[in-house]
Amino acid sequence: MPSFALADEPSLVDWTRQRVETVLLKPLAERAGSRFSRSRPPPQERRVRVTQTSLSRDEQRRDFMPFSVDVRFGAGNWQADDIVGCAYRASGNLFVKRGEVYFPAAILLGKKVTSVPGACQAVAARS
Amino acid sequence: MLLGSALITCMSLPYFDFETLPPFVIEKLPLRFESLWLAALRVHVAAAALGFPLCLLLLTRALQRRVVWHRWLGRVTGGLLLFALLPSGVVLAFDAKGGAVVTAGFLLSAVIVATALIFGVRAARRRDLISHARAMRHVVGQMSVAVVSRALIVALDSAGVAPDVAYVAALWGPVLASAVLVEWLSRRPIFWLQTPIYLVERMRREISPLALVLRVRARFHAVVRAGR
Repeated sequence: MPSFALADEPSLVDWTRQRVETVLLKPLAERAGSRFSRSRPPPQERRVRVTQTSLSRDEQRRDFMPFSVDVRFGAGNWQADDIVGCAYRASGNLFVKRGEVYFPAAILLGKKVTSVPGACQAVAARS
Repeated sequence: MLLGSALITCMSLPYFDFETLPPFVIEKLPLRFESLWLAALRVHVAAAALGFPLCLLLLTRALQRRVVWHRWLGRVTGGLLLFALLPSGVVLAFDAKGGAVVTAGFLLSAVIVATALIFGVRAARRRDLISHARAMRHVVGQMSVAVVSRALIVALDSAGVAPDVAYVAALWGPVLASAVLVEWLSRRPIFWLQTPIYLVERMRREISPLALVLRVRARFHAVVRAGR
């Protein structure tokens, strides 16, 4: 099947990585609060890993790309999956997993939001 | 300690912003009883912000000389710790990050505070001021864990220690160290307390400058009093 993607259009992986960095990681880095607190110190580095190369589809037939964010504290090793979530291709919305449910990524920036049932849950492709 | 307490209070103000979630709260989500936990956090922060400076104030000699003030402020502070700080702390302990080890650390600290507080009040009521002072030092020692623990977290983070390990060490270290230090200070042998330096220091604190001046003047410029 021929690809209709334009030559200068970023790949899905690049698009997801850019989206996560712009919407989530940059604001998180800017939001680093006081260190004199019981909250976890901000990591030295964060990196985005896009865990699939193709789109998944949820129950509402919306396409998304799952991603993970790894973190590193000091000179230690990378800790995988500090943040797990997905980016919706059409809307660009990001969702992150807290416990067993997914919330809009804004929750990590301090916004009060509620969980979104079915978000980032891929349904098996029907034949 | 007072500075550390003030710093913690300033850093805790976002907990009272009902529109946003501070990073410490976000880390915990999702919680089993979110409303109860958030209410406990706010009560705990408010009680600690008021209770710890009051504890430090009660340790000052100036307030200890004013017995009535000391007694009433002690009652207020004790009530605040026993009925607000400790119950809310126990609620928070069960969702502490770091799991059972950290929960046990917070609960041990709470047990020390509650036991010492009750023991200290009973000692004060029977005028056993030495036991009262020892018990209250345990209370303040455990209260100081809040400041020391945060300072240790910053220090261990700067040293590159993994946050999970640092969090456990920064809790258990100060909890145990405070208890041991207070006991050690309370059980020092009597001869240790009778060194000349210690006695001079005690005299300096106990004797007011005016009394000293009067004593010296009486010795060198004795005034003959006319008797009846």
